[in-house]
Amino acid sequence: MRLLTARLLDSREILPGQWLMRWEAPWLASTALPGQFVHVRMPEWAGMLLRRPYRLNTFDRIAGELTLHVRVAGRGSAWLTQLRPGESVEMLGPLGRGFEVDPRSRHLLLIAGGAGISGVRALADTAVAEGRQVTILFGAARASEVYPASLLPDEVEYLVATQDGSLGHHGDVTELVGTYEAWADQAFAAGPPGLLAALARIAAGRDARLGVARLGRKRGANPDPLGSPGARRKSWLQVALQQTMGCAVGACLGCVVTGVQGPQRVCREGPVFAAAEIDWEAAG
Amino acid sequence: MKRKKTVITSRGAAAHAPRPRAPQPPRTPVVPSSILRLPGEKLRSAELADERAAARNARNAPAAAPAPATPLPPLAAVDLSVDLAPRRDGALVLRTPVMAAAGTFGYGVEYAELVDVERIGAICSKGTTLKGRTGNAPPRVTETASGMLNSIGLQNPGVEAVLERYAQTWAAWEVPVIVNVAGESVDDYVAVVRRLDGEPGIAGIELNISCPNVGKGGIQFALDADAAAQVTRAVRAATQLPLLVKLSPAAQDVRRIAQAVADAGADAIGATNTLPGMSIDRERRRPFLGNTYGGLSGPALKPVALRVVYEVAQVVEIPVVGIGGVASLDDVLDYLMAGASAVQVGSAVFADPLLPVRLADELEAWCRDQGMTSHRELVGAALPGRRDRPSMKGAEYRP
Repeated sequence: MRLLTARLLDSREILPGQWLMRWEAPWLASTALPGQFVHVRMPEWAGMLLRRPYRLNTFDRIAGELTLHVRVAGRGSAWLTQLRPGESVEMLGPLGRGFEVDPRSRHLLLIAGGAGISGVRALADTAVAEGRQVTILFGAARASEVYPASLLPDEVEYLVATQDGSLGHHGDVTELVGTYEAWADQAFAAGPPGLLAALARIAAGRDARLGVARLGRKRGANPDPLGSPGARRKSWLQVALQQTMGCAVGACLGCVVTGVQGPQRVCREGPVFAAAEIDWEAAG
Repeated sequence: MKRKKTVITSRGAAAHAPRPRAPQPPRTPVVPSSILRLPGEKLRSAELADERAAARNARNAPAAAPAPATPLPPLAAVDLSVDLAPRRDGALVLRTPVMAAAGTFGYGVEYAELVDVERIGAICSKGTTLKGRTGNAPPRVTETASGMLNSIGLQNPGVEAVLERYAQTWAAWEVPVIVNVAGESVDDYVAVVRRLDGEPGIAGIELNISCPNVGKGGIQFALDADAAAQVTRAVRAATQLPLLVKLSPAAQDVRRIAQAVADAGADAIGATNTLPGMSIDRERRRPFLGNTYGGLSGPALKPVALRVVYEVAQVVEIPVVGIGGVASLDDVLDYLMAGASAVQVGSAVFADPLLPVRLADELEAWCRDQGMTSHRELVGAALPGRRDRPSMKGAEYRP
């Protein structure tokens, strides 16, 4: 975690109101892990007091660059997306705990809703580089909001569902999960809270549907405690959450979500959680 | 409250830092001396004295003593230290008057990776209660115009766990750590303070009687002079630790409460906590915060807190700590001139974690440019010669 300056290299609107911004930030790019985020400082003169958290969309360790996928949702993102190449912002990062991928997992299922793809996009890169097979299920309202396949690595399988049926599967992206739940060793999701809650319900019933037996645990051995890296690796579904945030270093307790074991800080215990850690009733 | 009417000529600040009033130092414009001084012009007296002393030392020193390779320019020493508990004989002396406000700086350890925490004047911990609390439903923070709302709801693991996890670290730090204490009843406050009393690493207590985000307790103590005095007196009897009492800007007449708290034995007064507010989630058509209401902080709160400091500093003799929207050197100077002996940086730390350290450096440089030897000369500079009228009509106050 460091405070540093990132310089904007280029910025383009890839979808209506969604921008892909490429930054020069060598230290961040070389230390970041998929699932982590940066806290971007806003201009003081505009009266914007809080930094804004953005997930690392992709990072290139060799070039020392990273990209952020910014959806214009308020004053902060509106200001950020209006920056010109050459301008700089102050970033704090990399922050939070990233995705836990089991070294033995061969098939990864990434599920994203809308701009939530920024939450799992970096994982597609690293998983492909490690020789894993990746399928991305993407859900959006209509074809015009579908993430362009040209921005994904060639090796991934990309399936799209739209609510109005204008592209791909007509309906919810959760309806595509059933085809892949047996194939996937692990699943990773990011998107609106409703989508994540629905996926968590699917994940909770998966073992029973597939008849998965929990083998290989020695009697008497302690299972990994909830929230530990081990427990997250063993959980089928991990979700990347978002919450309005204050400090992003774990001091203010502003960004919590309701977990089954009490409040969990998105900035410190998250932003990635095993689906079983979250109290979805309270979160929804 | 039967209290002798005192003539307020050398108020508040005078109690702990006698301020010579007769010979006013010449007011120089806010411009660095290097700019003011022409190339051939003589150095100002303080710098001159330093140079003479240096020359004298050089003459008297044995010839063997090597001269420093790069002689530093003589700097007039600025004393930024401040005693927040003058009646307790150095129990809470800060090296700089810029502190970290409760709630925003966690327990200090969270920021230790980014900031040299020992260069901060003092750190106020998160609100600590007797038993652990899980806090309010999320979302808990949101930005508003020039400010933010929070409704954390005093989430903390309880005093026992706080001591176990952090007291050792605090004891090793040179920076004083002041534990912010909250409770639902007077007995709660007393129990927490009893537990903290005598523990190594605890430099003082900040009595949080003004949290707007909890159901029972919290702000209700800060809205009523009798309740505020009662809890302060009870805590005072339970500990010898320096005691700050943090007031609410929502009180009808804050002077009455400040007076009551000071009479009950507080060593210093913090002004202020957040102001209750709310925000709407337009998409979902309901209050944004999980708790509906939250406390407003940030620059939006500063004029309110500044007014409270100004009013409180006129009626109490103990030090006042200005809290609310401190984000730049100007804010620090405003609070000092309004009568605060120190300030706390709150939500501005989220944007710039290095701010408390930077503000102390800037204050030192500013004092030096003004030819001042201490920021204490500024304390209360803007206070009126005699007691000013109350800020709100109808809230009359007669001591």
